[in-house]
Amino acid sequence: MFTKGINEFMYYVPFLKEIIKRDFKKKYYKSVLGVAWSMLSPLLMMVVITIIFSTLFKREIPYYPSYWLGGNLLFAFAMDGTNSAMNSMVNNASMIKKMKIPNYFFCISGVTQHFITVIFSLVPYFVVSMLIGVPLSWKMLLIFFPIILVYIFTLGLGMFLCAYGTFLRDLNYLYHIVRRVWLYVTPIFYPIDIIPEQFRFLFELNPIYVYISIFRDFALNDTMPSERMIIVATFYSILTLILGITTFREKEDRFFLYI
Amino acid sequence: MMIDISREAVEIVNPVINRSLRTDDLDDEEICIDVRNVSVLFNLSKNREDGLKEYFINRIKGKVGYDEFWALRNISLQVHKGDALAFIGRNGSGKSTLLKTIAGIIKPTRGSITVNGTIAPLIEISGGFDRSLSARENIFLVGAMHGHTKKYMKKRFDEIVEFAEIQRFVDVPMKNYSSGMVARLGFALATCVNADIIIADEVLSVGDAKFRMKCEERIQQMLKAGTTILYVSHSAAQVKKICRTAVWLDKGQIIDTGTAAEISDKYMQSLKKE
Repeated sequence: MFTKGINEFMYYVPFLKEIIKRDFKKKYYKSVLGVAWSMLSPLLMMVVITIIFSTLFKREIPYYPSYWLGGNLLFAFAMDGTNSAMNSMVNNASMIKKMKIPNYFFCISGVTQHFITVIFSLVPYFVVSMLIGVPLSWKMLLIFFPIILVYIFTLGLGMFLCAYGTFLRDLNYLYHIVRRVWLYVTPIFYPIDIIPEQFRFLFELNPIYVYISIFRDFALNDTMPSERMIIVATFYSILTLILGITTFREKEDRFFLYI
Repeated sequence: MMIDISREAVEIVNPVINRSLRTDDLDDEEICIDVRNVSVLFNLSKNREDGLKEYFINRIKGKVGYDEFWALRNISLQVHKGDALAFIGRNGSGKSTLLKTIAGIIKPTRGSITVNGTIAPLIEISGGFDRSLSARENIFLVGAMHGHTKKYMKKRFDEIVEFAEIQRFVDVPMKNYSSGMVARLGFALATCVNADIIIADEVLSVGDAKFRMKCEERIQQMLKAGTTILYVSHSAAQVKKICRTAVWLDKGQIIDTGTAAEISDKYMQSLKKE
């Protein structure tokens, strides 16, 4: 069954390319600046956030703009990616109902969309980092490790949400609130140090925090994250993907009646 | 006049399970589609439950019931390679559902389907186009759905555009196309992707007479080349012209099978009787 899945995947690779291209085009349809927005909007937000919070956390956080940008980069990737994947069945109903294509390709495309955005956003991230004097190090290249882990996590969670969201559209509104709460419980604009020591283990239950802290270790602190963190992060990603795939497979046969 | 569903016609003819469509000259050829005892169940939800609130309210009331609707019941048929098979029957008789099941878009609730070869489905006129894209983009997109690379599609591009007669509009978003243009592009694409089996569901019903002639010609060519065609049309004349064999469906069951001429005549007769 595994090789069958691989063969099927390879057969549809040209399709995946086309669909990713299409989604990308659609995203910036009729926009003058187009893809430049994926670099501009985090920068603008960074200015605002820095003005508001850097006075608050001045002592705790060095290189605050990069601290926020990096955290926000991964967080936005996970949130937007899961959201796209969740709605991918409904948005592609016209194709799913008339062509035989493995449904999960639309989830992959939805997540990959935002992965491309992440790649573009890395440009302003490094420009800002250099401007504010973050020391350069070869470890910065390792940031792709947490980014890939976020990709896997996002795909898994997106497929899981899609499996239910296709039947129950309310999940969209509910997830909107969850995302808001998630933002506040993840140390993106505040330092983890403001949390009392005895509660910090709770934050490790939040996969996105684990990814962000690995990212920051590589990109800002010039340190290697602890092995524990790496194992926990990998574990979260793989577990979520397995959960996503199994749920999706179980539900997907009934999708076409609900889209 | 009272409009009654053709119940009479259904009850008179007892559906026989497991028919094989065989005409003498096809006897030795291989079977490319094998449908075995296929049934498809649609749950028509009584209350739309796209919302959590409705779902829980209904759950509490104990009303999460569905109207069971068998869109297909116990369909068995075999299609030989190179055959042109017509599906006839009234609206809602299960023709499109059967074709979608064969195309692999719907999974049968019961039974099994074996298909040898690739399928180009043209279901309900447009074959999976994204209407917000231009024809150019759609050609590559649909080509990719059939596993063709961009390079291959580039080679076939001019041919497709020319056949569909949309040269001037290749870069216009397809949402601005007329239904005839969409149908033409759909047909041109489906016949250019080198599929072994083509599913043509009412594709020729919107084209003008000249395009229809062109399509019929193309279909004849493909039949000669050994392509299998599954064809749905409400025009008895077209069915007789293109297809060799026919299947008559009603309420998700096979009423009769045989040569195209014989079956479409029987079908027309039954309509008059009502």
